[in-house]
Amino acid sequence: MKPFAFFPGCLIPVRYPAMEFAIRQTLPKLGIEIVDLEGASCCPDPIYFKSKDKVAWLSVAARNITLAEDLGLDLFTNCSGCTATLSEAYHLLKDDEIREKVNKRLKRIGRKYKGTSKIRHVTTLVRDEAGYDAVRESIVRPLDGMKMAIHYGCHLLKPSKIMNVDDPNNPEVLEKLVEALGATPVRHRNWYLCCGKACQEESIPLNMMHALLNTVKDEEAEILCLICPTCFSQFDHGQMKVSKHFNDDFHIPPVYYFQLLAYAQGVPYEKLGFERQRFKPEALQRFATSSVQVES
Amino acid sequence: MAKANKPNNGDVVHVDFDFRRQLAKKVEGNLASFCYQCGACVGDCPAATYSDTFNPREIMLKVLYGLGEELLVEDSVLWQCTNCYNCAERCPQEVKPAEVIISLKNMLADLNIYPTTVEKIIDTFENTGRTTPLSPAVDRQREQFGLPPMQPVPMDEIKKLLEPAPDEEEDAK
Repeated sequence: MKPFAFFPGCLIPVRYPAMEFAIRQTLPKLGIEIVDLEGASCCPDPIYFKSKDKVAWLSVAARNITLAEDLGLDLFTNCSGCTATLSEAYHLLKDDEIREKVNKRLKRIGRKYKGTSKIRHVTTLVRDEAGYDAVRESIVRPLDGMKMAIHYGCHLLKPSKIMNVDDPNNPEVLEKLVEALGATPVRHRNWYLCCGKACQEESIPLNMMHALLNTVKDEEAEILCLICPTCFSQFDHGQMKVSKHFNDDFHIPPVYYFQLLAYAQGVPYEKLGFERQRFKPEALQRFATSSVQVES
Repeated sequence: MAKANKPNNGDVVHVDFDFRRQLAKKVEGNLASFCYQCGACVGDCPAATYSDTFNPREIMLKVLYGLGEELLVEDSVLWQCTNCYNCAERCPQEVKPAEVIISLKNMLADLNIYPTTVEKIIDTFENTGRTTPLSPAVDRQREQFGLPPMQPVPMDEIKKLLEPAPDEEEDAK
């Protein structure tokens, strides 16, 4: 097993622990050892705190990365927002002037940023360290033929020169991961659209989500598969708002990819916290007895 | 901030370089200087698609003219940006309009102007080290998944990092 430092962030461990549970269940089965980081704070978020003071934002991000540097490990996150902040910090801190400014602040707490720990999103960690075949081999109940709409969100892929994850105009990582579950990925017409969470003018994200949900509905996808907790909150709580606002009736359960993987690896449906979602992926239950149940 | 003439009032345009100098001091705030107004940032901008008032090209133009007083206001149009970075992908000059917009928001913060929702999240972070507030229910829920309780964030360290260095404050003037 290869060890990686795990940066869980805020939203997943605090509000969506089912997602963290799924990460901890699935990665060891793919040969990835999770090493917890002590003393980590918010990444800090790339929307709100970054808007206040980029230098303070960079300094706290740099501190978080040094926790992984202390362990001599690369760092992975389970949240696209954390990945955005930490990857951007990693990128900006290659600049001597910025690094010096940030290290001046870190000196106050006896730390120094070195740039020795790379940053990964769990999705690319699985792609690069385990591979799609290992994901396929880890599965005990393939989700054969289940149509899953894909939502990449923004911060996994862009800015592409900083994230270095995939082609932002034609990515494949999420489709390949969904295929490895036995499911059928659906790239709906609005796959490129953002969830709108960062926008502070309510009508804009409502219109965006409405457009996106309509194309997912047109494709008759059973699930909206995503890899970001912020997008999840938009499409779970937000979906009801969209339905009310446009007098529509959407029922498209958004699901975090690693909960789907955990389910396909044999973790029982009831253990995955789906009852807490507004829109529950009950369609998954048709696979409940499709193979040997493996108790985790 | 010096008053700049609007570009369409018939007079000679006086660019407010003071505003631009302040912006350039923010991390990546100087990138707008390379904008040649091609508009590539607009087509794939989701906020521009669904808003009548948000246009990243126009925001970059206002920056070039130094029209800070149109951007650095309460309920600024800047807050309509979705931070999706499509503009940065499309820009042939690598201006990163989304990043310039965040630098402009840093200038708004210097004026202590924030939308209420944004200010609340920033406060939560500055007081707890997290953007999502904790409650006893959080650890109970985590326990159901066999997860350990949330660990406190060393706030003494975080607070020390948030203060600007004396020379940084000097730079910002």
